Amino acid sequence: MPGLALISFLQDHWDAYVSGFSVTVRLVLISFAIAMAVGTLIAALRVAPSPGLNRLGGIYVETFRNVPLLVLLFISFAGLRRAGVDINAWTAGSASLGLYTGAYVAEALRSGVFSVGKGQIEASLSLGMSYRKTLRHIVLPQAFRTVISPLGSLMIAMIKNSAIIGVSLLALGDLLKEARIVVSNTFQTDEAFFWAAVGYLLLTGLATLLVRGLERRYAIRR
Amino acid sequence: MSYVFDPSNWEWLITGNNFRYILEGFLINLEIAVIAMVFSLIVGLVLALLRLVRNPVVAFVAGLWVDLFRNLPLIFLILYMALALPNSWRDAWEENVPGWAPEAYQSGFVFAALVALVLYNSAVIAEIMRAGILSLPRGQSEAALALGLSYRQSMQQVILPQGLRRMVPATVSQLITLNKDTTLVSIIAITEVMRRGRIVTSSNFFTDVQAPVLHVFLFIGLLFVVVNYSLSRLSRRLEAGQQERSGTKMEAIGGLEDQLQTAEAR
Repeated sequence: MPGLALISFLQDHWDAYVSGFSVTVRLVLISFAIAMAVGTLIAALRVAPSPGLNRLGGIYVETFRNVPLLVLLFISFAGLRRAGVDINAWTAGSASLGLYTGAYVAEALRSGVFSVGKGQIEASLSLGMSYRKTLRHIVLPQAFRTVISPLGSLMIAMIKNSAIIGVSLLALGDLLKEARIVVSNTFQTDEAFFWAAVGYLLLTGLATLLVRGLERRYAIRR
Repeated sequence: MSYVFDPSNWEWLITGNNFRYILEGFLINLEIAVIAMVFSLIVGLVLALLRLVRNPVVAFVAGLWVDLFRNLPLIFLILYMALALPNSWRDAWEENVPGWAPEAYQSGFVFAALVALVLYNSAVIAEIMRAGILSLPRGQSEAALALGLSYRQSMQQVILPQGLRRMVPATVSQLITLNKDTTLVSIIAITEVMRRGRIVTSSNFFTDVQAPVLHVFLFIGLLFVVVNYSLSRLSRRLEAGQQERSGTKMEAIGGLEDQLQTAEAR
């Protein structure tokens, strides 16, 4: 029975998979927090009423969106270490993934703000609401709705991209890294990779369901 | 900061043939991306059409296939293909690669890398194409059928020409992502730009010039930013040109780091 063999394989290496899984989850959560913070800041720069700030935000987005994540990881870990900065694998990994995804988050947030019609903002201002109130009661609630789906997509992309960190930085045992260690111990490539795939599909599947639930809850009914 | 801009740390660029060596490596990345993209477009179109076929079993299996490969990390697929593809396939590749091909292509792992890149990207492209086709109003296919066109004719002459035009922006952004993703093949020992960067940083036995890791990879990152930024500019210009010529604002399917961006989200 191949199914039973798979299950006993998982039982044998349960600890490795659980520790790898939890490292991946933590890595994604930390990086997502960084990406949201950076992305909000950059999006604010890009919609600010100052051409200088706009350009600064634009340069950030175009740089981090067009550079491979692996290059960022090399710069932030090996590069900075060689330069004498004592950076650890967790910091380098989550900062790279966070800054990289931050550029995409900024774009998603910006287009969310722009999706709210100009007429609505003008209407609310002419009704005597302050700029702050307009932002809080008119723009942001609507922008939030349109932003759920792209942010969910970015979360899924981030889960997948997190696998690059464990492969390139030696000290971080994420799910894929642990699976590779299992392979090198047992030489059972298919079984070891099967369970890593299950782990990743579990995470991306959960993220998809979460986004769908949120979308349904906050959907605009027409 | 002074460490970054210190000219002596940049001297490696003009020493020996480091500059050329890195640039040639970068070209290998671009070539791998183009080859993988061509195959991904073909396979992606087949997958998208299979998914839209009226036979529910075929459509379901195609959907499962697409969702499976779209939701696995690409690096996972690359590593798995490198380990799991039969050795005989790799040997067959190594024997049949023409001698004039660059050294990086002589390795049988290139085949594994291409298989993984195409598996992953064709799934993403299939989803983009399906969204492009589904974004057309139903009236289009109904009108085609009412005019007496067969399913095949209406696909070929009505649906695909319009649907595929809508997916151009998403495809270009996927090409940019693919371009970045080609750096991952360095992990299975293909000497493209990342490997070459590492070789440059560690090969200062013959000269006194040090090539710091930071500077080498800043330079490599710059190469990617220049090429990918130009690509995205080009695609925006094409889009604008097309709108001017056709006089209509095309409702395009956008892409977002391997994921689709639906029209209402933009």
